[in-house]
Amino acid sequence: MKVLIVDDEQAIRDALGRKLRREGFGVVLCGDGLEGLRAFHAERPDLVILDIVMPGGMDGLTVCQRIREVADTPVMMLSAQAVTEDDVIQGLNAGADEYLIKPIRLNEFVARVQALLRRAQMVSSEDAQVYNDGHLNVDLQRRNVQVNGRKMHLTPTEFKLLAVLLENAGRVVPQRDLLEQVWGREYVDDVYYPRVYISQLRRKIEPDAANPIYILTEHRVGYRFERHDTP
Amino acid sequence: MTGLTLLINAVSLALALGFLLIILWQDSRKELNQFFAIFLFLTVLWNVGALLTQMAVMVGLETFIVRFAVGVLELGFIGASIGVYTFASVLAGTHLQRFRTLALASLVLVLAYRGLIIASTPPAFTVINETFNYRFPLPSIVFYLFFDVVTAFTVWRYRRTIGSRLLVGAILLFVGGQFMAFLNPELSTIWLSTSISSVATLVISSEMLQREILKPLASRISQVEAMNRVSLSITSQIALDTVLEEITRQAVGWVDADGAGIFLIQGRELDLETVYELPEEFLHVRVPLGEGVVGSVARTQQSIRLVNYARDWQGVAELPDAKETIGSMICVPLIYAAKVIGVLMVVTGKHGRRFAPEDARLLEMLGAQAAVAIAHSRLFGEQRKLTEQVEAGRSQLESLLESTENAVIAVNRRFEIIFMNPAARELLALDETLPSKNVLRALPRAVLPPDYRRALRDMRQNRVHIYEITLHGKVFLCHLAPIGRSKAGWVAVVNDVTQLKELDRLKSEMVRMTSHDLKNPLQAAMANLELLRDDLAAETNPEIDLSLTMVEKQLVRMNRIIRGILDLERVKTGTLTFGVCRPARILKNAVEELKHLADDQHIVLETQVAEDTPDFQGDVEQFERALINLVENAIKFTPAGGHVWVSAERSEDNVLFSVRDTGIGIPAELQPQLFERFFRGRQKGAEHVSGSGLGLSLVKTVVENHNGKVWLESTEGSGTTFYVSIPALSLQVAE
Repeated sequence: MKVLIVDDEQAIRDALGRKLRREGFGVVLCGDGLEGLRAFHAERPDLVILDIVMPGGMDGLTVCQRIREVADTPVMMLSAQAVTEDDVIQGLNAGADEYLIKPIRLNEFVARVQALLRRAQMVSSEDAQVYNDGHLNVDLQRRNVQVNGRKMHLTPTEFKLLAVLLENAGRVVPQRDLLEQVWGREYVDDVYYPRVYISQLRRKIEPDAANPIYILTEHRVGYRFERHDTP
Repeated sequence: MTGLTLLINAVSLALALGFLLIILWQDSRKELNQFFAIFLFLTVLWNVGALLTQMAVMVGLETFIVRFAVGVLELGFIGASIGVYTFASVLAGTHLQRFRTLALASLVLVLAYRGLIIASTPPAFTVINETFNYRFPLPSIVFYLFFDVVTAFTVWRYRRTIGSRLLVGAILLFVGGQFMAFLNPELSTIWLSTSISSVATLVISSEMLQREILKPLASRISQVEAMNRVSLSITSQIALDTVLEEITRQAVGWVDADGAGIFLIQGRELDLETVYELPEEFLHVRVPLGEGVVGSVARTQQSIRLVNYARDWQGVAELPDAKETIGSMICVPLIYAAKVIGVLMVVTGKHGRRFAPEDARLLEMLGAQAAVAIAHSRLFGEQRKLTEQVEAGRSQLESLLESTENAVIAVNRRFEIIFMNPAARELLALDETLPSKNVLRALPRAVLPPDYRRALRDMRQNRVHIYEITLHGKVFLCHLAPIGRSKAGWVAVVNDVTQLKELDRLKSEMVRMTSHDLKNPLQAAMANLELLRDDLAAETNPEIDLSLTMVEKQLVRMNRIIRGILDLERVKTGTLTFGVCRPARILKNAVEELKHLADDQHIVLETQVAEDTPDFQGDVEQFERALINLVENAIKFTPAGGHVWVSAERSEDNVLFSVRDTGIGIPAELQPQLFERFFRGRQKGAEHVSGSGLGLSLVKTVVENHNGKVWLESTEGSGTTFYVSIPALSLQVAE
């Protein structure tokens, strides 16, 4: 497993790198956004860890967006600056799968890295499930999602979210269950994760994201996938 | 000659009787009229007697008839002399009390006595050459002399009081006429006497008619006119002193007095406010209530008339040398709204006229008018003073508002603009002519409160509502408050806070940057510390281990301080994400987060949520943070083995959270500063507790953001309870 760490603070990226190496990861270290993006293309890592505030004209959010344009590689944001929920949501909206706030303990950091990689891998091992109603076509095994016949890129987290909802189609999935199944047990309190991802997912698969027909919100409980095919 | 005399006599008496009838018809109860009637009746009796005698003699009738006629004549004669006396003394006002009864009784007595004498010894008369000779007996002369002399004296002495020269003359003529009867019987002066008396009676009667009916009628008309004039002249004055002067002038003119003054009540005294035709040095003479004529009048609310001041008044004199200088006096209370406000005093000099009851009556009428005029003038004066004060205050306030740079706009209950200062016009780019008086239409939406219901509720509860306006790229803070307590409307004061806002933004930015810059080294230090621990895991050196633990603890503490600053900043500047908050859920989350901390410190953490605890509206995350801070505090300040209870319940329309501990308590002197930023109470037993001093400041900010209240009760040594009260979600909204 290869992890790309982009952080302008040398002390931090060295420490994180040393820890990950000890845990058996391959590590690539970069000091600014542009360098990081080049390394991403050259090294093809399994996971990217991005600091947000970086010098050199390209911050973490931009790097994340550029990565998302070409790949579904899981991205973890690591920021010292997060003050409000809006900052977190902004990061997630940029396509990150995880948003961590400095300072974080190394053990927790490693646990989160592992959980994120697990999530990305787990998707492909799901049992076969195909949904097709003409507008939306999902093949879980082949990780293929088509909307109106056109292939749609989903990030690993988005895909995992859709998979969980589809498996429970017709039933309400409580928020905490969703958090636990998609992100992991440690995440059950990060209630804004589903909110952000659901809205991104809607933008990608719903005919009209403002009036969703597939992913419905059960107020104060959770979300429900509504089938429109005839099984 | 005799026939003519008879005719004149008869006509005179008939006329006199006619006048009498008119007078009695007009007022038969009046003492003067009654005595006049008696006098006239007796004069008629005398005349009838004279007539009968003359006729009897002329016709040459029997002697006893002549004797009877002479008897009637004599009774009438004596009666008339008594009658004229009683009439004159009533006229002059010298009669005593019960005079009527006394006079009538003595009249009856005298007449009865004379009648008996006449009956027993018939009058002796002679007729020589057809001339009737009669000599009055001595008792008649004595009676006559007694009464007629007294009458003449009285009339002359009190001629000013009687007031009519003709009347005085006529009475004197009558007396003189009676006197003629004694002159010379041979000259038949008795007939002349009768004629003179008849004429005098006629004059008296016509004067009485004049006096009792015609004059009063005329004077009533002139009184009405005068009253009208007085009202006009008094009420046309506005200033109190001119009103008072006018009243005194009118009073003196009305009753033909020599001077007048007005006392006004001031506290427990009467103060001579105005004098007219009286010495100036009398001004502001003070008389206590109840003393002097003036004081008595003010106390009893009854007017007093003193015909002779020196004689009739035994009390304290209100003016210097009063007994020596004042002749007659009338004091009339000035009553307004059933309260005496002063006394009108009218006087004559020692040799001036004496006041009649009529004068008092007139002055009472004047007094009533005067009181109203004085009261109104005072009210007007007070009102003018008040108006001036209000006007002064208003202009002061207005110039203040005009010159201030803050925009000020006031509206009434109908949302119509009632005031707008130049700053407000400039800010809103409005000229003098408003597009509409209604504030909702006249002003752009951007400057109006975003939520009317909330604004009204805030003003009802806190008397102020504050909201932000962005206009022309500047930021303003608008304070909205009700005008006074009278629900007159609302006033908005707009402050330019652009600079403050910018400063605040810079401060926030700096806090963010600083925190960020601190967090990176902190992260690096903490990460390397962990790596070091991993590296040293194999070795067991307690010294090194202790040092590492200490370094870690300090780093964690530093982190907590930074987090505290950032949390507070976030709460202060961040927008609230309002949602429905379940107290039970919040409590559960808060306790879960702190469970291990409590366990570590061997503290029992218990929660209790009453079943009827209502939901409330708020930012779940922020509120959880606040509650966590409170519970964390409680745990930190409670010694091992202690207890912390966290509960939620309904309290009227609020949700009441309480966090109670068995901790060390907070001294009363530290309590007021407790919620201030960076406040750390140096307290015995709490030296080991670490903290940023930001926790409670955050709690306060969050609670206030939720329109709630936070307070505490603490007993040193036995524990502290923090309370947080938040308005509950009303049922209508929840459903």
